[in-house]
Amino acid sequence: MAMLEVNDIHTYYGNIQALNGVSLKVEQGEIVTLIGANGAGKTTTLRTISGLLKPRQGQIVLEGNDITETPAHDIVYKRIAMVPEGRGVFARLTVAENLDLGAYSRSDRKNLAGDLERVFSLFPRLQERQKQYAGTLSGGEQQMLAMGRAIMSNPRLLLLDEPSMGLAPVLVDLIFDIIQQINKEGVTILLVEQNALMALSIANRGYVLQSGEILLSDTAESLKNNEMVQKAYLGIE
Amino acid sequence: MNKQIANGLRVGLTFGIVNIFLFLIKFPVIAGTIIKKIIPNFIVALFPINPDILDILIFIGLIGIWAGASGGRKLDEKSDNWLTSFVGGAAAGLVNALLIGALVFILGSLTDAHVKINAYLAAILPAVVKLFLLDQNTLNGSLTQFVFSFVAGALGGVLGFAFRGQWFASLKNKWNAAWASLTENPQIKKTFARPIARIALSALGIAFLLFIPQIAGKYWNYTIGTVGIYVLLGLGLNIVVGFAGLLDLGYVAFFAIGAYTVALLTAPNPHHLMWNFWTTLPIGVVLAAAAGILLGIPVLRMRGDYLAIVTLGFGEIIRILATSDLLTSFTGGPRGVTAIGQPTLFGKPFSSDTDFVYIIFIGIAIAIFITIQLRSSRIGRAWEAMREDETVAQAMGINTLSHKLMAFAIGAALAGLGGVLFASRNQFTGPEDHNLMVSINVLSVVIVGGMGSIPGVIAGAFALKGLPEILREVQDYRILIFGALLVAMMIWRPEGLWPTARRSMELHSADPEDPESGEAKTSEDKP
Repeated sequence: MAMLEVNDIHTYYGNIQALNGVSLKVEQGEIVTLIGANGAGKTTTLRTISGLLKPRQGQIVLEGNDITETPAHDIVYKRIAMVPEGRGVFARLTVAENLDLGAYSRSDRKNLAGDLERVFSLFPRLQERQKQYAGTLSGGEQQMLAMGRAIMSNPRLLLLDEPSMGLAPVLVDLIFDIIQQINKEGVTILLVEQNALMALSIANRGYVLQSGEILLSDTAESLKNNEMVQKAYLGIE
Repeated sequence: MNKQIANGLRVGLTFGIVNIFLFLIKFPVIAGTIIKKIIPNFIVALFPINPDILDILIFIGLIGIWAGASGGRKLDEKSDNWLTSFVGGAAAGLVNALLIGALVFILGSLTDAHVKINAYLAAILPAVVKLFLLDQNTLNGSLTQFVFSFVAGALGGVLGFAFRGQWFASLKNKWNAAWASLTENPQIKKTFARPIARIALSALGIAFLLFIPQIAGKYWNYTIGTVGIYVLLGLGLNIVVGFAGLLDLGYVAFFAIGAYTVALLTAPNPHHLMWNFWTTLPIGVVLAAAAGILLGIPVLRMRGDYLAIVTLGFGEIIRILATSDLLTSFTGGPRGVTAIGQPTLFGKPFSSDTDFVYIIFIGIAIAIFITIQLRSSRIGRAWEAMREDETVAQAMGINTLSHKLMAFAIGAALAGLGGVLFASRNQFTGPEDHNLMVSINVLSVVIVGGMGSIPGVIAGAFALKGLPEILREVQDYRILIFGALLVAMMIWRPEGLWPTARRSMELHSADPEDPESGEAKTSEDKP
């Protein structure tokens, strides 16, 4: 049984259809990436999975349980965490307060210290800046904070929305290294990216999304070598 | 130098025009009466001239000095010295003085020609013009005004330089050092850190609070009570706006529900229920909270501006319902409800203005306690997250709707308490007690005091409801003075009178002495 199964979801913004029957599967321990152009529906897919949008049709199944109707604020209790597009750190709260809010859903408060240590070992910079307001961090640090905050909820599935957006190349490398490291520690990852090359280089499998539909799905390796993908998303002629 | 003169002329023009306006509404005379109250009598007695004229001279002089200081202000580091400052100030003073002199001359000439100026400008009676002319004839009077303002401007330029110069800075340093040696002294610090010292200080503070109503007269107790009710309302709205970030412009609705609950249940008319005050107090609070939840369920799905508009409408609906003919037999209609029941204590009436001050103090204490408890709780953290970013807060597992309802209900309950106390103290409530201005005033209390800050709300309520009472002597002008103060405050202290540390950080992040923001600037550049 797949960890997460998305079956034929149709999501609308008012009357505008954004997803036209998207289906995908994420197996335990994988890194799966969702690539596609602007407006293809990548973010909409993630927002639907995390309950912020409700599909008009289709199901989202987590380990055999239908979570389609689960409200957004209960999704994190199913141990799915999201790092939203544009990071969404709480700018007027300190780094430490942000991380603390990441653990809002936790009832096992006694394990928090260990998790905080884990976050700080992944992102040493956050430890240095614990008392600083999140809004004063650089873009890369904010991305780290958003990821660290998601990890504080102790997720089994991490949804990442465009973690490379607006970051310098050297930082993108760093963030992707850390994504792999988080995955090695046992967190399954669904990664939405415009930077298809980077995403495919760390993922096990990938889906190509176009106009709200899945165009292709294959192993990351085959997608990388697919001529159409190369032309359209990797910029290789 | 040319730049300084140009600056002076420009400043002088502005001050001159404002002065003309102030003269035309007779403001120098009014301002003088206030200023004279501040200055001790024996100093006033040193000047053997007509005290009314002294008032005007003091006012014009102060404004002139201000104009001069502004005209001679530092334009750049290099050319800032005694001379440029003096020249800039003199230029400002000259223009200002020319305009004032000309105005006074025109007013004087017109009066001499028996033109009835007060037919057009109600404040400018011949007697007032005589004061403006400093009790002299038209030519001499306007010349004196001119010279006086000019000298004041030049003096202002020099004073301005003195105050930003070396010796004033060293004076300031000495003062700071003296203050620090007192507050940083380890012996003193240790004494005050002891729990017994804290308890003693709190006890002293409480004793002082309990003592005030005993010495304050009836009028002041009434004023303190009004301010206290606004503190209560402000603390409630502070939870809604300051903590949860929900802009509620119909807050008066909950105040009205509290007031009408106590009114209808205790008054002989229109229902003749005549319940006990203490029984109806919790009912009013609970009804207000329930109304908060009922209103909240449909509207709290909206965000920002939409929420503001809908709550605004709700506030008006309550007021209009209270006024409506349809409900006159139920609510007392436009004439309101009179003879509202008042509290008793051990069978004796406990309802003088002094007694009410105590009851209101207890209400405030409860509100402060609730606020502090909530702020540091899990709920408080959820509010904080929600205010920052609702979507992300949901992703963190925060049920935003239930938390918004909670904020709304607690805020409404405090407003209900305020309404109960207000109606009972006044023994009357009617639709006009519950108009839009109440919502706006309470919101102003929160904003002026400093959003999210408890001492801020108290300071804001004193500034907004207490100050107009103090200014009552100058009835016609108090809204003008008050408006000017508000504008000035929003320019120079946008974070409020007594802000939370966090808010002052945001609004002054450009300050060089703030190490954190300085760091932020550099951290943008490096990964």
